Amino acid sequence: MNTLTLIKREIKLSMRNLGLILSYSSFFVLSLLIFTFGVGPDIKQLNTVYIPIIWIIMLFAIILVSDNFLLSDFQDGSLKELQYLGYSEESVILSKTVVMYLILIIPHFLLIPVFSIFYNIGFNDLFQLSLDIIIGMPSLILISLIASLLTIQIKRNKVLQFIVIMPFYVPIIIFTTSNNDEIFYGSFELNKILILIGFFLITLPITLLLGKLILTEINK
Amino acid sequence: MIFKFANPNKFLKISEFLFPYFNFFFLISFIYGLYLSFFNSPPDYLQGETVRIMYIHVPCAWFSLMLYSSIAICGFFSLIFRHTLADIAIRAIAPLGASFTIATLITGSIWGKPTWGTWWVWDARLTSELVLLFLYVGIISLSNAFDNKSKGDKYAAILSLVGIINLPVIKWSVDWWNTLHQPASISKFSSPSIDTDMLSPLFVMTLSFLFLSLNIIIIRIKSEILQRKIDILNSSKIN
Repeated sequence: MNTLTLIKREIKLSMRNLGLILSYSSFFVLSLLIFTFGVGPDIKQLNTVYIPIIWIIMLFAIILVSDNFLLSDFQDGSLKELQYLGYSEESVILSKTVVMYLILIIPHFLLIPVFSIFYNIGFNDLFQLSLDIIIGMPSLILISLIASLLTIQIKRNKVLQFIVIMPFYVPIIIFTTSNNDEIFYGSFELNKILILIGFFLITLPITLLLGKLILTEINK
Repeated sequence: MIFKFANPNKFLKISEFLFPYFNFFFLISFIYGLYLSFFNSPPDYLQGETVRIMYIHVPCAWFSLMLYSSIAICGFFSLIFRHTLADIAIRAIAPLGASFTIATLITGSIWGKPTWGTWWVWDARLTSELVLLFLYVGIISLSNAFDNKSKGDKYAAILSLVGIINLPVIKWSVDWWNTLHQPASISKFSSPSIDTDMLSPLFVMTLSFLFLSLNIIIIRIKSEILQRKIDILNSSKIN
């Protein structure tokens, strides 16, 4: 019940800020274009780097967006207020994760199929990519929320957020971008998904615990 | 017992007593280790004289990992028992660990050029060492980013604890990633066990590195404690 009210609140706030989704989508498309200009017009080469590029852009975008979800709440004091109102720190983070996930997943499902045509991606690969995004994204969002909580009180040095977060993205990026069934032994699509679910199950409790620690430290 | 010695003043007293001994042991073991590694150990039958880089490289690598785990232990004590000395220790150890990591990477690539024929390979060990360096950089910059020192301490402690959970995952996943991109024939470390003639200089050098890092940590903790005392005095003067 607690978390549900918070989720409703977050959705209401995000609906008032629809520009965020729009700017997120344009960021996504423009970065894809920049990468394409960097790699060159050879469709074969583009085809092989398409999936890693999508993941890397998504990663940067998530880091950039996660600040929006916390910074305004921190600055106007609602983060503190929510604690005084009796909402647990875990539910605050969980609600932010859920809403961020819902909001970011929409542009992906609108944009990725369209751009997959441009890069000559087959249906099977597209399906796999979408499935990976659905399952892998929550862990990325949880980690990035924790990193922006860690750095929210630093005014000058926003690069620090990236420095703090990058090592923790290494395993997820490795597993999501690899498309070789040798390392997954046998039916690799299922095993890859199981590994991503495993990552999520590891990330969820740890990040919620840390988020509680950090939030109490911030609200002190 | 830990809490008895964790009092900053007590720590200062004990470390002042121990510091000259550590210095003495460091000098003795360092000179003896250098002598052993340069004059009293055989060249490798495959790598020749370049194997002597090992006597610097391997202790550096061990200490880069060990210091990270000690940071994580300090982080644990800082978060659970709220001990100031643990906070100070994180601040003191992190740059030292980062420099050991950099030394490992540099000596490793100098060693790699004649043996593997390349400065760098995306091998699991090398890559995870590089990621370790970034973890260190994250801790150092996070602890120094805040105007309020104690806040930086807390966040650095949290980051170090997550890092230690993440390190095995990184190692394991990079291992898998590596088997995907190239054959894992490159890691020569796992090949035949090491000879005792080479083991003894390695052991002595490791010992000397231990005393060196203890010395540096003592100096850094001491200066940090004094700095904090000065800060307290200054703030009380203003008020």
